[in-house]
Amino acid sequence: MSLEFLLENILNLVGFLIGFAIGIMSLIGFRNTGSPTLFRLTLAFFSISLGFFVIWAGYMAEDFILKSGNIERWIQTLGIVIQTVGYFFIAFSHSIKSFFPKSSYFRSVGFFPLFLVSSVQLEHIFRSVSFILLAYGAIETMLSYFENKNKGAISVSVGLAFLALGEFLGWYSFVFPDSLLYPASMIIKIAGLVALFIPVSKVPLTKIKFDEGIE
Amino acid sequence: MAEYRTHMTIIGDILSTTRDDLQDEDGATVTYLIRKANISHSRISRILKTLVSQGLLEKVDLQGSNKYKISQNGREFLQAYNSFRNFADNFGLNI
Repeated sequence: MSLEFLLENILNLVGFLIGFAIGIMSLIGFRNTGSPTLFRLTLAFFSISLGFFVIWAGYMAEDFILKSGNIERWIQTLGIVIQTVGYFFIAFSHSIKSFFPKSSYFRSVGFFPLFLVSSVQLEHIFRSVSFILLAYGAIETMLSYFENKNKGAISVSVGLAFLALGEFLGWYSFVFPDSLLYPASMIIKIAGLVALFIPVSKVPLTKIKFDEGIE
Repeated sequence: MAEYRTHMTIIGDILSTTRDDLQDEDGATVTYLIRKANISHSRISRILKTLVSQGLLEKVDLQGSNKYKISQNGREFLQAYNSFRNFADNFGLNI
């Protein structure tokens, strides 16, 4: 088993579990308070979790069933696209009011080129979009720290920044495919996910009376 | 510059006032809540009506003047609200 394969499995499993845990906490919060912010965080982290799960499942299928030596490209692309949706909702929560062009003409031609490029190019496009959304989220979260002085925001900001750096290195590694850039990007992303989870794990949920249907 | 407060934050402020900052044991008057929550009469009237109908506040009629007290459900909601406000704060967001 190669180092890259091992790191991919750890990264995607950690991403799936942490995304799912934060998603569940956001969902409980939304059910208890009805806050639209928590609803957007629920969508964001369930998307991120699902994206990591898709890639992890792809690697597992390749390892135990297909044995082709490499993950199907479209599965990796699909996972990254789903994660990008999650990153979009985090950035959107920081008040991106109009992410897509308003004109219907631009909307139609904006999506059309996606059908003309290969899945490899699509992966690069979505990695770069993820990078922008994550960098935006990291900067906004850090700015909120200067207003609120909530130390948890520093950890979340660093986590988002690490994820952004990981996405950037993962995208840039196609220039140097056999270098350590890709494994380094995965280690940085794992560190980012852990940093994201640290302050969230300290939120006291034990005294909250949950809604019916949520245990 | 005045800080922007979401609808949820205003509800949290009203419930916190009725729990922690009452004038007397009978509850808080609308005027007192307006001053503490810093919102208009028409807006607080709508919010109070909703909070009473949801069982988060209790309306007490005392010799023609209405006062508001937090209910047990209101206390539980406020506890959840404070926990998840902290959760959202970690992401730099307002609940």
